[in-house]
Amino acid sequence: MEKNPNDYLATQTRRALKEQAFNWSKDLSLPEARALTKRLNEEEPPEKEFRLGIVHTYTSNLLDPWLNFHAIVQGIDLKTYHAPYGLNLMESRKGSGLYAHAPDMILFMLTLDDIHPGFSKPDSRLHLDQQYDLFEDAVKRVLGILTLFRTNTSARIVLTILPPIMPPALGIYDVHSGCSENLWRTSLKKQFATALSNMIESSFFFDMDQMLAEIGGFHFFDFRFWYTSRFPFTPLAANEFARRLVNLMTISICPKAKVIALDADNTLWGGIIGEDGINGIALGPEYPGNTYVDFQRRLLHFQQRGFILALCSKNNAEDVYEVLDNHPHQILRRHYFAAERINWLPKHENLLSLSNELNLGLDSFIFVDDSNHECDIIRSQLPQVEVIQTPSKPVEIPRCLEQINRLEIISLTAEDTLKTQLYAQEKQRKQFRQDTVALDGDLNSYLASLKMKMHIEIDSRKNIARLAQLTQKTNQFNVTTRRYSEQQILDFVESNAWTVSSFTLNDIFGNSGIVGLALFRKLNDEAIEIDNFLMSCRIIGRSAESAFLYAMLNHFATIGITQFTATYLPTQKNSLVVDFFSTHGFVAGNGAGCYKRDLSTSPVDKNLFPPIEIEIEDTDK
Amino acid sequence: MSVSEQVIHVVAETLNVSSSTITKESTAENTNGWDSLAHVNLMIALEQTFDITLDVEDFAKLNSIQAITEFIEKMKN
Repeated sequence: MEKNPNDYLATQTRRALKEQAFNWSKDLSLPEARALTKRLNEEEPPEKEFRLGIVHTYTSNLLDPWLNFHAIVQGIDLKTYHAPYGLNLMESRKGSGLYAHAPDMILFMLTLDDIHPGFSKPDSRLHLDQQYDLFEDAVKRVLGILTLFRTNTSARIVLTILPPIMPPALGIYDVHSGCSENLWRTSLKKQFATALSNMIESSFFFDMDQMLAEIGGFHFFDFRFWYTSRFPFTPLAANEFARRLVNLMTISICPKAKVIALDADNTLWGGIIGEDGINGIALGPEYPGNTYVDFQRRLLHFQQRGFILALCSKNNAEDVYEVLDNHPHQILRRHYFAAERINWLPKHENLLSLSNELNLGLDSFIFVDDSNHECDIIRSQLPQVEVIQTPSKPVEIPRCLEQINRLEIISLTAEDTLKTQLYAQEKQRKQFRQDTVALDGDLNSYLASLKMKMHIEIDSRKNIARLAQLTQKTNQFNVTTRRYSEQQILDFVESNAWTVSSFTLNDIFGNSGIVGLALFRKLNDEAIEIDNFLMSCRIIGRSAESAFLYAMLNHFATIGITQFTATYLPTQKNSLVVDFFSTHGFVAGNGAGCYKRDLSTSPVDKNLFPPIEIEIEDTDK
Repeated sequence: MSVSEQVIHVVAETLNVSSSTITKESTAENTNGWDSLAHVNLMIALEQTFDITLDVEDFAKLNSIQAITEFIEKMKN
């Protein structure tokens, strides 16, 4: 696609705009953004509504055209409510304008001075002993305010603090000073973010400093509008602010991305390995090879965010592996990829088989390829895959995924950072299974040879974030698909009526991390309802679900609970578990999808236990 | 398009109304929606459309189609 801005304005579809590999929108003028908003609204009306509420102590209304513009590009019909100017606590009450708007997200646009008057006295910020008290007080105030709002809404709460309009008090000496302003601002910001994560459910600190660093102070603030209308931003900054905010909305409402499926030639390196050979491709310290090295490094950053990398290349496999294993400047060695398809099959077939191998839906795939042709095929054959065409100019390659909304994250767990490693273990396991089953044809002996150990934790407070994440992200092996927040999971853990049980699975290839969760709700002294039972698709096929269910049933039986009810709620994605209860000794109950089991007449048969050693750690309430 | 037609177009777009509702006689005072906030976005839109830089002191004066048109014609000459 030619980068003539008029093309974008006049002809591009929403999808083409959304999947651009560079920041095409940053230099749009306000009239251009408005015209494009109007055209997209007419040609491709948005399907999803998102309701935003803004509480602000500086002008926020002027952001509207930019917010509407970025929302429409993402297919969002944005409805924004601006609270009356000021940090008005009345807005937190039922009956306020904000409450009536029923927002999905509340954005707090504040300055430090609004949070605590101490910040407007320059002296107090320059003495370390006074800083400590001031910061503690400021964090308390922020938490107090946000908690008030949290009481009456389940909207995501987002806090952002306007960066200082002036350079540090001590100017260029700041970094030498014992109470460097830049340093304490950063530390305070970190304290706000930590307090939000720990104390305010479903909240996020939106760091405007990152955006300021990208744009630069000269281009960020417009003093004319600041001093006349208390609006701090240049059009460039307002545009970028809106883009990032809409990004947060997209993450909340779009299917989660999980896999980056990468082409190799002219994507991971310059040139074509099959023609140019290992010494001929561009990859190394000189231009253009250094751009590909940087891109590979950036891909590793995405892996650290929890996205898994897969390779999808039309090549002879041995040529590509030679680069992965032996090229001195290759960063993404073989073990960084969770799966590979290096062959001459059409790429849409390869993506389908990758999706099967990884047990991840195609709507969680982002496909990256330099070829027009390949990109078009995927767009037409697999419309649910997001397709990013790498730029033809090497200097634009390292940053080509920075605009992709779904590659940002707003939470990170230990499992996320280990994900590729976990998938790599699964790949070994599959190979081992093929080998073993081929050897003596018995699945059970394969399972036994894995030497599995399951560790079950009951009502543990240790991994609340991961447990909430499992309810949020698991689609296939999920009997009721009831989604819960961290706060809700914590409430269940602390409640006497609920039992929260999760497990990790260990075998000869490694540890899975927490991959299964079951929620039980006590009906009376003898009866329990299974509120949800779910498992990560990563470990399907190892009978862990049976071991987990039987272990929990036995656990309850020992404390006199014998009556169980359960429900299967069908969704588009969970047909995998349609027979889960009926194949595990439950009989039909009252109503569609309802099951029950009476352990006093049908106890769990020990012979049905799969070959998994089980250990239960029960936290007493 | 003449300067005054362009100005009418920019004002209408900024206020999110049809061009036909804005005339050469329109002013901030007699036009619905042309309030102080819309005025800021109008200043930005004028700068970007006509590739000019406005002074804070000019903001308040540019409060009618006629004033804006004359101002821009003067700057462009």
